[in-house]
Amino acid sequence: MSPDDSLNKISVPSAPITPWRMYVIFTVFAVGFIYIFCGLFYRQLIQSQDLIDQANSQSEVIVWRPPARGKIMDRNGRTLVENRVRWSVKANLLSLEGEIDKEYRTLVKAEKDKEDNLKINYENLHQQARVNVLNRWLKKIWFVIDESNQKKSPSDKKKVKFLANSPEREVNASALAKHMRETRILKFTLISDLTFPELRNQISDEEADRSIARFIEQFPVDGPITIESDMIRSYPFGSLACHTLGYVKDSNQLPPNFDANFEISFKKLSKSKYTGKVGAEGVEQTYDYALKGISGWERWTKTSAGYKRELLESYPSQTGSESMLSLDVNIQQAAEKALGSIKDSVGNPLPGAAIMMDVNSGEILAIVSQPNYNPNRLASKVTSKYYDEIQEQGGWMNRATQGLYAPGSTFKIITAIAGMRSGKIDYDDILECGPVLRVGNHDFPEHEPYGFGQVDVEKMLAISCNVWNYRVGLMVGPDLLAQEARRFGLDQTLLKTNPAVSGSENPNAYELPSPARRMIIPDSNYKERIGQGNWTGGDTVITAIGQGFILTTPLHMACFASSLARGETRTTPTIFHDPTRIPYHQDSRPIGLNRNQLNAIREGMIRCVTEGTARSIQIPGFQFAAKTGTAEYYKSGQKAHLAWIIGYAPAKNPQVAFAVLVEGQLDTNTWGGLTAGPVAQAMIKEWLNSKNSPSDE
Amino acid sequence: MSIPWAWFSLILATYPWLFVADLLSSTLASSGLNYFITGATLIAPCRRLKRWQAVLFAGCVGFMFEAYRPIPNGTVAISLITIAIILGNYRSYLRTTLATTQAAVVVNALAALIWFSAAAYSSEAQTDIYNSIYQAAIQATLSGIMGLLVIIPLSTTQNWIMDLIGVPSAHDLL
Amino acid sequence: MNNHQKGAKASYIALIVFVLIWISGANALHRFTKETFAEFQAPALQIASKGSDLSRYWELKSRSNEELISASRDLARINAALELRLHSIDDIRRENTRLRENARYTSNSEFLTVVARVISRDTSSWWQKIIIRKGRNDGIRPGSPVVFSDKVIGRVSAVHLNISEVDLVTSPTFRCTAFLVGDEKRRIVYVKGDAANSLSPGRAKITGIPIDYNPPTGQPIKVLTTGLGGVFPSGLILGEVDGSIRMSTDDNYKVADLNPAKDLNMIEEVSVLVPQYPTANEILLAPSEKIKLEEFR
Repeated sequence: MSPDDSLNKISVPSAPITPWRMYVIFTVFAVGFIYIFCGLFYRQLIQSQDLIDQANSQSEVIVWRPPARGKIMDRNGRTLVENRVRWSVKANLLSLEGEIDKEYRTLVKAEKDKEDNLKINYENLHQQARVNVLNRWLKKIWFVIDESNQKKSPSDKKKVKFLANSPEREVNASALAKHMRETRILKFTLISDLTFPELRNQISDEEADRSIARFIEQFPVDGPITIESDMIRSYPFGSLACHTLGYVKDSNQLPPNFDANFEISFKKLSKSKYTGKVGAEGVEQTYDYALKGISGWERWTKTSAGYKRELLESYPSQTGSESMLSLDVNIQQAAEKALGSIKDSVGNPLPGAAIMMDVNSGEILAIVSQPNYNPNRLASKVTSKYYDEIQEQGGWMNRATQGLYAPGSTFKIITAIAGMRSGKIDYDDILECGPVLRVGNHDFPEHEPYGFGQVDVEKMLAISCNVWNYRVGLMVGPDLLAQEARRFGLDQTLLKTNPAVSGSENPNAYELPSPARRMIIPDSNYKERIGQGNWTGGDTVITAIGQGFILTTPLHMACFASSLARGETRTTPTIFHDPTRIPYHQDSRPIGLNRNQLNAIREGMIRCVTEGTARSIQIPGFQFAAKTGTAEYYKSGQKAHLAWIIGYAPAKNPQVAFAVLVEGQLDTNTWGGLTAGPVAQAMIKEWLNSKNSPSDE
Repeated sequence: MSIPWAWFSLILATYPWLFVADLLSSTLASSGLNYFITGATLIAPCRRLKRWQAVLFAGCVGFMFEAYRPIPNGTVAISLITIAIILGNYRSYLRTTLATTQAAVVVNALAALIWFSAAAYSSEAQTDIYNSIYQAAIQATLSGIMGLLVIIPLSTTQNWIMDLIGVPSAHDLL
Repeated sequence: MNNHQKGAKASYIALIVFVLIWISGANALHRFTKETFAEFQAPALQIASKGSDLSRYWELKSRSNEELISASRDLARINAALELRLHSIDDIRRENTRLRENARYTSNSEFLTVVARVISRDTSSWWQKIIIRKGRNDGIRPGSPVVFSDKVIGRVSAVHLNISEVDLVTSPTFRCTAFLVGDEKRRIVYVKGDAANSLSPGRAKITGIPIDYNPPTGQPIKVLTTGLGGVFPSGLILGEVDGSIRMSTDDNYKVADLNPAKDLNMIEEVSVLVPQYPTANEILLAPSEKIKLEEFR
């Protein structure tokens, strides 16, 4: 059959159509229709809910509303940490779209005009257009903020020069790209904090407010650039107690204690990236679970480009709970001021730590570590520059709880107690103490060239006689010394969380982050354990004066002074204030000395202040007890000194105990009484002040 | 003045009306309302003037209303021009007093609604939507009443000016 | 008839063309139109205002001599008292200048005062403004603060040759920073005009009040300008806090309503404080200064 024939056949209208062909066609059509109908049925009725959900998930979005963190106060209710309003300048990219498009077209045209350029990366150009447009606006913003554009005289121009250094003079292109990827639903932040916290040390509060005021009063109200406010952590006392308070850093972790129904209702909706804050260091970290509050949210419809369009519903955030610390701002300030005034040869403050605590409750009234940092400068954004700066100075370390030091002569109290408790010596026994004591083939010297002659416990503590301790150390032996030190808990990790104070749900083991755990109390086996040979008599005598291998923290020594003041062995320190607390000191036992022996120790510590190594810090008309110490340590291979003082006040019926440590440098004269003493004196004076002032009633 | 300048003479004749309405609006300052009659001024000119003249007239009146007010540029003017064109095209219906009065009420209220919505749209201020609708309704009603009150004397003035210049009457046009 | 329909069609097309031209038209076109029509109406406004002054004059002229004598006696008394005050102010000003020089703290609040009469008020839900009888010819510049004695009235939003428009404190386009009396830390708050409720005068809102701000009890809380923004001199009264201070919707700070210091709908005369140097905003707005911005790093 030729093709022509078949054409002819079809074109004949009356040609008979064979029924089976029709059936085939009918069947095919029927199956098709059934398929389509079933599909329709399935989509419309069975799948509809899923599809609606899917459509919603594409057109709606959840935007988080981070909560404000709880306040932190001192024991008298003064605010240590609060939230302040942060004003930031934001760009609404949705209303800038026209301008960006125009810029984009210009860029594309310019790119196409280049003949050699065959491949145009349109995505890059779009990004470039955004950057260009935002930079133009930013220029205008800075023009308004920067006062120097309005003033005429050159002296005025100088005054606001600091603004020229701000990193937010130009749009951060990578931040913008990230914003477009992750948080497009929100406005883009051009200037994150109009008070410029990173420049805060250079300018007064009023200067800082000036840029906010200038923006509000001079930048056109209506437009794509807006000023918005949110809450940011603020530390009214600046660097005060920074190691105890800590700081906050950005977090994308949604607070877990979150509205329970939320997950079920909006499981399928897309959600913006959470940008909140989480505590780092200090109480901000360990108490974060309570301070952080509960996040709120908003449900928005969004445009096809992913910008938010209309608010559908919202759920408010809940501010975190407040926390009351045991610190006393006045004492803390006095301690920081005194410690900060101890400078090295080039005028930098020496590293150090100071602690004052309530003898009975164990509540810490002041706890200082130097060098420190200003958490305000970290609150908005933790810049790597400032982070590194702190790192370089060693400011991150909390020397009071984490710094391990040889206790030096302050350990002599323990040697004396060990001597008396072991029965090797009694409170009124007198030892002849010359200028040196020869042990093995090594002379261990006195710190006084001619020796002290006849010395008993009391005199030893007043003048800090070394030879007495060498001899008692040898009598008692390293194991008993170590046992005594352990009895006072010098090797115990402190600041364990007490559920009665900080709440039973606190997941953290400690009240402050990572307190020291590797304290060393050497006994006769110690050297062997670390592979340094056998224990010798020489090791014993230097342990007896608190040097050699022994390492502990200033907080341990403060707790020791506190226990001693109560005539007990242990003090459980805490950083939280609770007026209803029933004093409880874990594992504490009576000190195990008879009245005369204990009196000898106490009298010796009083004489230390009245006539001994701490006489320079006497407070007229007020008696307190102290023991100084000057320990040698090695700093980059050379000998330097640690200055110590521990003690309690008043001498009779003690209320507060203290410990101060200053790390001497190679070129500084660092002596226990002279260097560390004034810090202790300042704390005691301030404590007396606040005790006598009616506000404490 | 010759007929091509009729629109301008009409503006000069109409302006005192607009101006007095503006000054009187000062007394309403505490309620945020406005004695709006701009819409009503369109009726008589649209009946008699040539289309392009009516359009010019409407544009000028619209721009005058906008001049001191933060309304998106040209919104009122363009709306009034549109209304003028429509009125001009259906001028055959505007022959009776009743019809002109009705037109004045409707056009004036409509124009008031237009500027109100335009201002609301461009304003950054956030308001309760019901409150805005309520205020818009009151403003539109007031404008409707103003249209009703002023249309007869207003159109009389305008017609008199047009007669003076020699603009053909509405009936002659068709 | 057919002709008429054709014309109708053409007119719609022309309209669409015009709208397109208008939308795509340059800003300059819009500005020009607006300015032209504003200036067209200005003389009438001025004449009206002068007319009302004149009527006031004739009204005064009709008073009896006794009335005038007693009024002038009262004025003389007030005058004497004020003169005394002025003397002490002179001393204070001298002292202030001396201190500023000693501290090398140059004043940034040098203003030229221009007194102007109010021509008309124009309010709606969306704007709250007055028109005053001084303009570019009198040295007024956009953005200048407008006050009545020590009370803030608003801010100049547009300047024409002989008249200016003033956005009142309650206008949604108005915003400035303020201190609340009783906040010893002097933290700034944000005052913003707000769209009016129906049938009621304009409102203004205070936002950004710190959460721990404790208002002094038993007395109205005054709201004062900060003087930090480079527009308003410090210490002018914006008004008082109206009603209670409440939490904002997002829990970040507190908000309150502002009761303007002066009844803005009754004001007859105002002073415009024209800054000596143009503000940054003014430079931004003025097209001729565009080059200056480009130079700015």
